[in-house]
Amino acid sequence: MIRYLEMARVSYRRHRAYRAANVAGLATNAFFGVVRSFVFLALYRARPEAEGYDLLDALTYVWVTQALIMPVMHWGWLEIAQSIRDGDVISDLSKPVSYLGYWLSRDLGRSGYYVLCRFVPTLFLGWLLFPLRQPEHLTTWIFFALSVLMAAIIGFCVLFLINITGFWTTDVRGINGLAVTAVNFLTGFIVPLEFFPPAARAIAEFLPFAGMISIPMNIFLERSTGLAMLGLLVQQALWVGVLVLACHMMLAAATRKLVVQGG
Amino acid sequence: MDSLFVYGRLVGAQIRGQMQYRVSFLLQLVGSFSIAFSELLAVLILFRTFGEMAGWRVGEVALLYGLVALGFGFSELVSEGFDDVSILIRMGEFDRVLTRPVPPFLQVMSSRFALRRIGRIAHGVVALGIAQWWLRLPWSGVDILLFVAAIAATAIVFFSVVLIGAAICFWTTERTEVQNVFTYGGTELVSYPMHIYNRWLRSAFLWLVPLGLTTYYPVLRILDKGDPLGQPRWLSYAGPLVAPLFFSVALLIWRTGMNHYQSTGS
Repeated sequence: MIRYLEMARVSYRRHRAYRAANVAGLATNAFFGVVRSFVFLALYRARPEAEGYDLLDALTYVWVTQALIMPVMHWGWLEIAQSIRDGDVISDLSKPVSYLGYWLSRDLGRSGYYVLCRFVPTLFLGWLLFPLRQPEHLTTWIFFALSVLMAAIIGFCVLFLINITGFWTTDVRGINGLAVTAVNFLTGFIVPLEFFPPAARAIAEFLPFAGMISIPMNIFLERSTGLAMLGLLVQQALWVGVLVLACHMMLAAATRKLVVQGG
Repeated sequence: MDSLFVYGRLVGAQIRGQMQYRVSFLLQLVGSFSIAFSELLAVLILFRTFGEMAGWRVGEVALLYGLVALGFGFSELVSEGFDDVSILIRMGEFDRVLTRPVPPFLQVMSSRFALRRIGRIAHGVVALGIAQWWLRLPWSGVDILLFVAAIAATAIVFFSVVLIGAAICFWTTERTEVQNVFTYGGTELVSYPMHIYNRWLRSAFLWLVPLGLTTYYPVLRILDKGDPLGQPRWLSYAGPLVAPLFFSVALLIWRTGMNHYQSTGS
């Protein structure tokens, strides 16, 4: 366990080294936050409330999702696929740690960095610029943190599964494009799942992607409380279990067919 | 003319190269289309919920959205090479670019022709189809001309932003991510009518990076809507004309940057 914590810590520090890149990324996330806020400000001129979202909820939704991009979404992250392509995967596989654990701890270190240096400042900027809803109960923050942790693991698993298709195809960019679409849409990142037509909403709320944005969002806005909220957390936890298992099985299948070329 | 011929040959070679991996290429094309299309779908879902946006109906926003998607798509097709300028400089490769008897601008531009971006262009066409289906616009000759000019002008402005971003690398070496605010961020911003934003944002995207002039104002004219911001009518026709002007400025910055180029010596 200590080894995995250490790897997470190293990964955290590695990301801390790119301070300028983080500031630029922060500016981009915040810019999109501003634009999307104005979009909702304009839409809510027509009606005060939609699917239980009032303007304040919508603005909060915009800024929390923008803030969660780096901790849980990280589109187009193809580091593992790259290592499969150029053969570095061999040295990673022969490390005395679990391959999945190695990447997961690295990714959680990364997420941890982005929670502190991206999530917090983005949300703070949003709070400076627009009226946002703050959770009424202090405990909401704790459940939200737990939910974001699970969201980050689900996000990692989805990306791991995409990356690992690199063992079968050498070009994962196409599959990645489709996956980014699914992630953008089915997480409730571009529009809240509540706005979907009923059937699509029911499906999207069931899928694991909902655990990346929609469920943490729900908890933050205190739309579900008490048992309903616990239900959401359990749903997230179940998907974490299923996805980690899926990663294990895919990895086992991949390494069985792996052929090392000398040199 | 000679260099245009060279550009054509190089791009031809690129396309043949990308076509060698047909399945991979097709998947990328589908990927590029689906990413873009999910954004369009999101707009449609918002309108399904809210009905209208500050006086604009869904078809009207779809028209604006399609125009922006086409302009951005065409610029991405040819501008991708400039994303590599920072690497060229860092690796000392730009020295080699300078010794060749073809203008550096063309060399960089022809180094990557992003055919897969046709996916985004296709999604723009879908958006226009949706707009027409909803609006049943009559489209006079002048309208069509204005719309085509607006697409070209939008593409030129996006391309110029990337060119400026690349030129800045001559001073900073590193690629500055601020460019993304104006390209991806700009696409998002001008896909919705300009009058929903506050004065600061509007001014930045009308008079600093004139994307609003090449998209919002021509569309106002085609939809025959008045301007809630009270700009004169002729601005709709004059708007697209600023694109070549903006491009000249970008080219000037690129030239100045190149004169400033210092080899990394590695």
